[in-house]
Amino acid sequence: MKRVCIPISTLILIPVTLTLLLFTGCQTDYDITDVAPADFLDSEEHAPHDCDIDHDHSDGECEEESPEELPLDDHVEDSHAGHDHAPGTRNHGTQWFFNQPWAAPFIWKKLFRDGGIFLALAVAVFFISGRRRKK
Amino acid sequence: MKAVFTFSLMTLRMLFRRRTLWGILLVILLALAGIASVPSFDVSNQGRFILDFGLFGIEVGALLLALGLAATLFPRDRETRTLMPLIAVPLARWQYLLGRFMGAALVQAAALLVTCLGLMLILLFHRLPIPGDLLPATLLIIIEGWFLLSTVFFFSFFTSPPLNWPLTTMLFIVSQMSVAEFVGIMPSAPGLMRTIRMILPHADVFHIKDPIAHGFEIEPVYFLIAIFYGLCYSAFMLSLALAVFRGRDLK
Repeated sequence: MKRVCIPISTLILIPVTLTLLLFTGCQTDYDITDVAPADFLDSEEHAPHDCDIDHDHSDGECEEESPEELPLDDHVEDSHAGHDHAPGTRNHGTQWFFNQPWAAPFIWKKLFRDGGIFLALAVAVFFISGRRRKK
Repeated sequence: MKAVFTFSLMTLRMLFRRRTLWGILLVILLALAGIASVPSFDVSNQGRFILDFGLFGIEVGALLLALGLAATLFPRDRETRTLMPLIAVPLARWQYLLGRFMGAALVQAAALLVTCLGLMLILLFHRLPIPGDLLPATLLIIIEGWFLLSTVFFFSFFTSPPLNWPLTTMLFIVSQMSVAEFVGIMPSAPGLMRTIRMILPHADVFHIKDPIAHGFEIEPVYFLIAIFYGLCYSAFMLSLALAVFRGRDLK
């Protein structure tokens, strides 16, 4: 009877990789907006505006004129006309810009973890495919 | 490893002798020059326009270089029967793959650095400032190019070059999609699509052209994480390629 010898590295790597893959966070993938903390998303609500009139506005828009008083086309143009945002801040017009990995430090750990998983998989595949050839 | 280095230098010399490399390089440089000559119209800063589109052009150039350099390497070795004597004695299969990959990766990196220099010259010609993060941005595109190169190697072991081009291009496009966009392809199975998306790479990790064009500083640790991610994914694709290559009967 032939003696089957499995390298220790393979024996270790397979369960480690499987364990990593079975973590809840590893089972599915997600976008930055899915996991962004509240303060990251809230920054668009509280981004500083330069309004003509200083007042509270919960929906992120100044309300010199209420939306109901404006015709539809005017509302689209004027909803952004009453205020300016400070440059370089996240707001309703720059979400796409700040929803990129370089601007979201809370997702860097996931990238690092994904890299580790792929590296572990690479080593596992390397050894397993080598074993098949020896047979 | 000495055999791998020697073989990668042989690959490097062979690829530099090919006209494909110079043709693709010329096309990328012409495209960059063309981008610079397009007026930015109402974009407030012409420099942003050139940087944004220029880096995008270099990224597409990385795809073209990966395909042009590597898609025919294995099929040609097999067709000319230089593969059998190589893997019969001096090289193991993994050494053959690693040597070919390293040679092509060095050539691709050199070509992309030349395109980066071309972009710098275009900016200087237009008397525009050169952002300090332009070279790191090119470095990330080089890493993305290596991932594409490993993908081309993977497909080249079981498809013909004409099929390798669309498959790699399709993976390139899919890897640019966000999870929501990818799930949108088949909304009836979101869990499955999210799981598949996890196995696919996130190419947006390598994109920092927007912050550079708008003068944002990027933390150095991000570069390290992005490079680590890209290299690990390339290693994963290469291991899959090796698994296919090891299973192939070359007779």
